[in-house]
Amino acid sequence: MASDKELADFLKSAEKRAFKRVVYAVRDEDAALDIVQDSMIRLAEKYLDRPPAELPLLFQRILSNATMDWFRRQKVRNAHVRNFSEFDTTDDDGDFNILEALEALDGAAGTESAADSVSRAQILLVIEEEIQQLPGRQREAFLLRYWEELDVAETAQVMGCSEGSVKTHCSRAVHALAKALQAKGIAP
Amino acid sequence: MKNSNTSVRSGAREALESRIGLRVAARLSQQAEGLDRDFAERLRFAREKALQRAAELRSAERRPVVGVGREGAALLGAGGGWWVGLGSVLPLVALAAGLFLIQHLHTQAQIETAAQIDAELLADDLPPEAYKDPGFVEFLQTPND
Repeated sequence: MASDKELADFLKSAEKRAFKRVVYAVRDEDAALDIVQDSMIRLAEKYLDRPPAELPLLFQRILSNATMDWFRRQKVRNAHVRNFSEFDTTDDDGDFNILEALEALDGAAGTESAADSVSRAQILLVIEEEIQQLPGRQREAFLLRYWEELDVAETAQVMGCSEGSVKTHCSRAVHALAKALQAKGIAP
Repeated sequence: MKNSNTSVRSGAREALESRIGLRVAARLSQQAEGLDRDFAERLRFAREKALQRAAELRSAERRPVVGVGREGAALLGAGGGWWVGLGSVLPLVALAAGLFLIQHLHTQAQIETAAQIDAELLADDLPPEAYKDPGFVEFLQTPND
């Protein structure tokens, strides 16, 4: 059973990332705040008896469900379809060689490249914008996998899909980000 | 040979994807840390609200439960266990059984009294029809001097 301090420490460590993650999905900061607050309270009310190690996974699942509930309540069909479509099937990579792009971006580690003309804060904003542009499932998989640092199995559990789907979503998300950032001359 | 080349290429690709993914995530963390002060405060308030709720639930779990013991004495327990529940239900069951028994005995007594009167009437020298005689009824209604 998680103690008060363990619960407090966990929530403190997770709250900002959780808030940003929901903002990327719902694009409304006040709504995101409500969703995060509801998720925190739900975690505290229903899973108080769980060991602290289980809290991150439980919280991510609650947060995902709460976000889905928000979309259902909103009934904004277009937003719903845009953010929660299974796969972005429009694969318009053309002759874009993703491996070369990834290698180029990887090789640019530590260099400022386009940052010579664009400030660091602006780069962060551009990255955030590109994250928001990702299809909902890709974004969710990417954030859970790389930001929340869940493994593939845990991500699949939170998203309610197979591990193969998680890998596909993550791969597509990284490719889309790499392509978009490279086009803007930004090295992540 | 071709398969091994493909798997090496696939492994390299996955490793690169992970590196890029983690690097983008690190940038996102920088951005999240620089969250607007107002939202950071509201998040802190939300967290404290959740923790307060958790504390309320914990104290509710620890709150003692008062039960009724065998001699009517109050029992204090931390968990409201099975025996305390049984101790509360048993007196009610005993009360219901007692009321049923009293009702049964009362009905039985009424039946026995009626049977005794009937037996005495039938065993008497005077025939039962005599009690229905109008003269007898008048005799009963006439006040005694």
